[in-house]
Amino acid sequence: MIQLLISTDPISEGYVILITGLLIVFSALVILALFFNYGLPVMLYIYKIITKRKDRKISDIKVKGDSGFTGEISAVIGAAVHMYLSEQHDVESGILTIKQVKKAYSPWSSKIYGIQNKL
Amino acid sequence: MKKLIIIFSALSLLIFIRPVLGLGTNTNPTTTTVVSSTQTDITEDKSVLDGAFDGIKKFYSYTGFANSTSGNVIMIIIGIIFIYLGIKFDYEPLLLIPIGAGVILGNIPFVAGNQTGIYETGSVLNYLYFGVVKGVYPPLIFLGIGAMTDFSSLIANPKLMLLGGAAQIGVFATFLGAIYLGFNLPEAGAIGIIGGADGPTAIFLSSKLANGVNILPDGTTVKNLIGPIAIAAYSYMALVPVIQPPLMRMLISKKDRKIKMKPPRAVTQKEKMIFPVVALILTTFISPSALPLLGMLFFGNLLKESGRTERLADTARTKLIDIVTILLGVTVGASTQADIFITKDSMLIFGLGAISFVIATCGGLLFAKFMNLFLKGDNKINPLIGAAGVSAVPDSARVVHTEALKSDPTNYLLMHAMAPNVSGVIGSAIAAGIILSFLG
Repeated sequence: MIQLLISTDPISEGYVILITGLLIVFSALVILALFFNYGLPVMLYIYKIITKRKDRKISDIKVKGDSGFTGEISAVIGAAVHMYLSEQHDVESGILTIKQVKKAYSPWSSKIYGIQNKL
Repeated sequence: MKKLIIIFSALSLLIFIRPVLGLGTNTNPTTTTVVSSTQTDITEDKSVLDGAFDGIKKFYSYTGFANSTSGNVIMIIIGIIFIYLGIKFDYEPLLLIPIGAGVILGNIPFVAGNQTGIYETGSVLNYLYFGVVKGVYPPLIFLGIGAMTDFSSLIANPKLMLLGGAAQIGVFATFLGAIYLGFNLPEAGAIGIIGGADGPTAIFLSSKLANGVNILPDGTTVKNLIGPIAIAAYSYMALVPVIQPPLMRMLISKKDRKIKMKPPRAVTQKEKMIFPVVALILTTFISPSALPLLGMLFFGNLLKESGRTERLADTARTKLIDIVTILLGVTVGASTQADIFITKDSMLIFGLGAISFVIATCGGLLFAKFMNLFLKGDNKINPLIGAAGVSAVPDSARVVHTEALKSDPTNYLLMHAMAPNVSGVIGSAIAAGIILSFLG
């Protein structure tokens, strides 16, 4: 193939690359598309079958006992949590506003050079 | 303040008086006659002034004013235009501003031989440029893109992947056009990838094919086209909101533009995790030369979707990609040094780049129309999303979205357009791999 390419002129080689390149790009994406259209569901199905017994753990949790748990109750719990958290706001740390007043010594801002009024 | 001024003026007076009075110069002649002493004074004075003048002259010869050429000035203006476009019109500012600054940096005139310029070995810019020349930066950018991208719309509707392939016709058509214009094959391949509308891929491929180092079978070296190709790719990417809408309006009828697509199905986390692994294996088996790009892209996506490596994904999509974008933008910009950049080839590349974007967009749009012939009822796609097949992520998807909103304010296409958009990234990386395996 490479030998054949070298022996031909650039234009026809360009066409060869054009056609093969487009075909390869398309085929690659078609394969990907086909896989995710058909292959993936099959894979997930097989996975489901393999792990069927082990996956029980989640379904073991019964929801029947919670029949009395209505949306109203969850709304009340939500409101309670919200109110509790918004009450929390008042206990904010006050330290934030206290800044260190003392500055580190620097000869640039030193007063002693300003006091001696001579050059 | 007053004191400072007094001190300054006193000092400057002293400095200027010194040569006038002959202080600090050889005082021996003053022992001879008065006439001669005055004469020597004058000559000494002159020589000191001459020395100062020569120094200033020499200094001037090192400045940008003495060395600037019209090319430098033009490029600096272009750099300023880039920055202006980025700030004023918000066209990909994250790219245009670093590149614009880089263009200015690279075109400050200097005297060669002081390790200043980007093409002089040993200069700082040259070391940073190494990442571009050796193709280090693009895979790192792809890692970040992978960690940012959500492939779920693509997994939900895999047939949209074909649109990403259709837009790659722009790559191969430009490749052919470049050959007809007299570029040799590797150069043409690197120019063609501009049609992929993907900056990192374009830099990667041009650093492998048109790097000014490779030697062709007939004994000549290829030209260094990294700068023009990268600038063309990035500037047309930034101009996607200008280039694409007229083509959309021209090719897609008003009725088609109003097609509403059904919302994509929910994708499970399991599918999202499987996608990067399977796609990595499939695509790199088909096009192994694209391994650095596709490998990093899907690796980044795996970091994001695995659910266990949130820290790594977070770094990849924020800090890492930012760092690399800064370095890439500045060095690519600086590589446009006028004496290397302003050539006939660059102009041809810019022309070809514009054509390639047009062809890629048309290819995507027409293929979407073609696909619609086979799709029935609810499954019909809005042909506008074909334009998102050019990979400029996420700009072209956004353009599709706004264009659809113009014809029907309730038609939200962004999610649908992201599918061909990300498959365009995959498609252009595969195309780069194919070109590299043919010509590398």
